[in-house]
Amino acid sequence: MTPQIVLLVVVCATALAFDFTNGFHDTANAMAAAIATGALKPRAAVSLCASLDLIGALISVEVAITVTNQVIRIQNPDGSPIATLMDDGGMPLLLIVMAGLAGAIIWNILTWLFGLPSSSSHALFGGLIGATVASVGWDGVKWVGEGFHLDGVVGKVVLPALASPVIACIVATVGTRLVFALTSRITEVYRDRFFRRAQLGSASMLALSHGTNDAQKTMGVITLALIASGVWTDTAAIPLWVKLTCAVAIASGTFTGGWRIIRTMGKGLVEIAPPQGFCAESSSATVILISSQLGFALSTTHVATGSILGTGLGRPGATVRWATAGRMGMAWLITLPLSGAVGAVCWWVSHLIGGLAGGLTVFVLVVLSAGYMFLHSRREVVSHHNVTDEWS
Amino acid sequence: MDQLLAALDDSWRVLVLGIAIGAGLPTLFALGVKSLAWGLGGDVERHAAGEFPKPHLPGRIIAYTLFAIVILVAALGITYIVAHGQGWVITFDGIVPVFTPK
Repeated sequence: MTPQIVLLVVVCATALAFDFTNGFHDTANAMAAAIATGALKPRAAVSLCASLDLIGALISVEVAITVTNQVIRIQNPDGSPIATLMDDGGMPLLLIVMAGLAGAIIWNILTWLFGLPSSSSHALFGGLIGATVASVGWDGVKWVGEGFHLDGVVGKVVLPALASPVIACIVATVGTRLVFALTSRITEVYRDRFFRRAQLGSASMLALSHGTNDAQKTMGVITLALIASGVWTDTAAIPLWVKLTCAVAIASGTFTGGWRIIRTMGKGLVEIAPPQGFCAESSSATVILISSQLGFALSTTHVATGSILGTGLGRPGATVRWATAGRMGMAWLITLPLSGAVGAVCWWVSHLIGGLAGGLTVFVLVVLSAGYMFLHSRREVVSHHNVTDEWS
Repeated sequence: MDQLLAALDDSWRVLVLGIAIGAGLPTLFALGVKSLAWGLGGDVERHAAGEFPKPHLPGRIIAYTLFAIVILVAALGITYIVAHGQGWVITFDGIVPVFTPK
């Protein structure tokens, strides 16, 4: 085995690990409200979510090989890596991808430790941007798209991140206000029974839609690494094993629950009653589907959080915990710069050591920091037992 | 600047359609629950002590019609997700979705 192939294997493993963190980071987007209102028991919710994620990832045939083209310039428009990164059997490109994934994973686990929802796509983009700046320079990043076609860091990350929570919040506020006005005279028990059932449908839709979207990004990144190493040549298709392993990785991540984030979203922002849960999910699903139809890629995490905030604003007499919301907003602002900083540092480390040894060092760094944060999380365990306890 | 305008242009579309469908569906559903409450009578709706609200057939018919509409829209949503994942292009002729394989 050449060093390139060993590094390729390590990159693939790291990409699957990222996919796994992507899964447990996003369970909350689909299921937090359903768990908080008791529409689904916590374990049932994550099982349902994981199954739909798996189905979504498998039925989707979208090929996302050019995913990095949205923010950086390491690939040609057709998806093949640019020539200058292909020296030495693709080693330069593999190291960029490795460092980028490292930044994304570390950011995802850190935000999970603090129970903060943050966008996995933004973390991935951030890591890749940092690694690209460190290796190719500032010109390697597509900061602003051209003309009215939304592209680059501004068009694909910054503007959607600003717009999505606001839009989702307004939609959910309007829905919640109307629903509470219409059902004011109905007894709560009766009303809640119906809205809990409705939530099953809306939460499932969110989970399915997540599967068809998010796993594709990791599939694209792995395929890019395979192409760089010359193991795969087709830029219009993804190897079947990549698709299967990515689908399983994201679904297993989802299944583990990411309870800390579910708790913050389901209990920390607003006390959610079943009508609010249905309004939040209906708002999220609609906003996500419409924006994807328009090609205005909004982040699911930002949309789901905005919707839950909106249901707090829409319900008469409800309180919104703005301190928690503020912490989340802060996390979103620093997602890109911080995952980028980690990506850049990892690239420098791998570059100074050089070649395969450099890549392996970054891998070890990721494993060590993930292990440390996991041990830290055991001090205050959040699981399906206490995920819906009173927020204090 | 063009990027900002493009984002604003997309944002208001998402907002308007989002309110129409994303807030509209729960509203229809709530109307359905309210109609069913009227249709069933009894203690489902709050009422003065000593009264017993009568059931009303039209209430039940309206309720089930509304629930059917909500389920239909949800089914369309799922169809959209699956078709989109399968690489189909979905366009809208008025409000009727048209599915075209790529």
